Amino acid sequence: MNSVAIAVEGVSRSFGDVHAVRDASFEVHAGSVTALIGPNGSGKTTLLLLLATLLKPDSGTIRIAGHDPVTDARSVRQAMGWMPDVLGSWGTISTRRTLEITGRLYERSAEQSRVRAQQLIELVGLDELAEQPTRVLSRGQKQRLSLARALVHEPSVLLLDEPASGLDPAARIDLRTLVRRLASEGVAVLVSSHVLAELDEMADAAVYLDHGVTASNDRIERSRAQARDWRIRAVEPPQLAAALDRLGIAAATPDHLGSTVSVATEVEAAELLARLVGEGVAISAFGPAVGDLEHTFLDLARGDVETPDDAPATTEGGDR
Amino acid sequence: MNRYFDTLGTIVQLELRQRIRSVAWVVLVSVVFVLVGIVTALLWASITAFGGDVADSAGVYSTIIFFVLLVGTLVTPAISGAAVNGDRDAGTLATTQVTLASAGQIVFGKFLAAWTVALTFLLASLPALLFTLIAGGVALDTLAASLGVLVLELGVVAAIGVGLSGLITRPLFSVVTTYLVVAALSIGTLIAFALGGLAFQSQQTTTYIGIDYSLGGEFDPVTGLPEEIVCLEPDTYTYTVPRFDYVWGILAANPYIVLADAAPTTFDENGYPQDLFGSIALGVRGAQLAPDLNAVNDECAAALAGDVNSAYEFETPQQIFDRTVPSWFVGLMIHLVLAGLAMAGAIARTRTPAGTLPTGSRIA
Repeated sequence: MNSVAIAVEGVSRSFGDVHAVRDASFEVHAGSVTALIGPNGSGKTTLLLLLATLLKPDSGTIRIAGHDPVTDARSVRQAMGWMPDVLGSWGTISTRRTLEITGRLYERSAEQSRVRAQQLIELVGLDELAEQPTRVLSRGQKQRLSLARALVHEPSVLLLDEPASGLDPAARIDLRTLVRRLASEGVAVLVSSHVLAELDEMADAAVYLDHGVTASNDRIERSRAQARDWRIRAVEPPQLAAALDRLGIAAATPDHLGSTVSVATEVEAAELLARLVGEGVAISAFGPAVGDLEHTFLDLARGDVETPDDAPATTEGGDR
Repeated sequence: MNRYFDTLGTIVQLELRQRIRSVAWVVLVSVVFVLVGIVTALLWASITAFGGDVADSAGVYSTIIFFVLLVGTLVTPAISGAAVNGDRDAGTLATTQVTLASAGQIVFGKFLAAWTVALTFLLASLPALLFTLIAGGVALDTLAASLGVLVLELGVVAAIGVGLSGLITRPLFSVVTTYLVVAALSIGTLIAFALGGLAFQSQQTTTYIGIDYSLGGEFDPVTGLPEEIVCLEPDTYTYTVPRFDYVWGILAANPYIVLADAAPTTFDENGYPQDLFGSIALGVRGAQLAPDLNAVNDECAAALAGDVNSAYEFETPQQIFDRTVPSWFVGLMIHLVLAGLAMAGAIARTRTPAGTLPTGSRIA
């Protein structure tokens, strides 16, 4: 296992009466991509601000690359790159100058900053706009500039707050490739996003945050073990419906994507597929209706609606 | 240490590039340049029309310096008053805070940039100032003191603006508050001085002993006095006078008076100040003098002694200067302390990781 690059233990932070983060504990390992998942207002951005040395936690401990952001913010900043969810840029300054100035603020020499700025412009594909003032950039282009700015000092810990919002599909694929490449080079990446399907393809691990509390591993395991919907599409939908009927399996009303069937485990899913094929149904698609992260996320969120105060697990027995 | 100044320099450079939109700024500075030129030309023309001598360029010089102070204090709050919170609103403060630049470097860099911008107005009026210097009549110590205080005062306004922008969450409020501070110092002190002087009034009794011109025979054609001087009964007048001497200290905090009082005053042969610095400084110096509450104007005794006019004490401005105290360093100190407090507060509030945040603000 790789070393722990981000270690968060029992962290809380409130703003007056608003408890943005109540009890967050998790680890992110070097060379891995971890998704930070939670509904709006669950405290994701506050948690990232705590990690980015901008906010002081009320309680708990944080270690970024082995340093405490409260007592040794400077060491943390040398090791950590942060891409905020707010797209701020120096409007009258060009993309290239923005990256050069950022390099200078990380105490790189003028020459190093220049070289690094050119590398990053190529990396995020802003070559054509490099000399334009940043206020002419579109949202997606600003997003890319923001990512480049977070990478100026070659950080070993990368915090990305909603990096994919505003990106077109091609840019999203580029982002995913880049993040995976950085991870393969040993960078610890923590990504928050609402686009769960995308995180599914990018992340090795996930941290679920709801009402400022990270879900425990037990609870995530339990959610994973819950029955979930699988989507089946057949060449001849009536044939599939008939086969499911013969097997005595209840299916939701078919829509244009096919039928959905509730399946408890992957083993059960494999068996179902074999039986359907055995029945002679021509299956064209067979897979989980929602991604792993989304399934867990929805399940946890649902659990929370019924037990809003994070009640003991015993009261959750009746879920679903 | 070198690294510290490197980063500070980067912040200053960043601020200057960001805040000064080249075209608009060049236009504004050009307008100041032209205005100062017009003011200089008009003053020069009006003085030479009255057959003024070389010393009059001192008057033009001091007027230009005041003009630059006026323009500087009017524009600097707009530049500096949103330096920190404007960045926070634009989402660019936090991305600077996560770099190795410290809160001190960020705030101080913004201050240096705002100060530099304010000084460009001085630069724009430099040709006019040089003209008055070449024309002669500006004493070297007056030049050094007035320029020094002007540069410091512009820095004070820049520091108060940047400081308040760090202390107040909303850019609009911090800009307005900076203007209010400048107005309070520039105009508020004058109003407080006037009202304060009127609030403290004293009873003044003037006793007048005249000469009875109906007696005493023929008038001397030279002195205009009767041959034999006969005194009238003493007349007493009582009225209230404002006590500006109690409140003159308020004026010390006025930047224009600091500037005027700091510049060493040169006097002409009659003991009158030769430039605008001296004329304004005379105002605050004169206010220090307590009114004579039991004045006796004994014309009769004076006439008997041979000179009627000696009944009335008359002091030249130079004599007033000589027996009153300068106050500019007190005022300047007040300004520097205000600026320092604002800056220190802003640095404390910009420091990260942030503990308590004011309600309604966000860090990024």
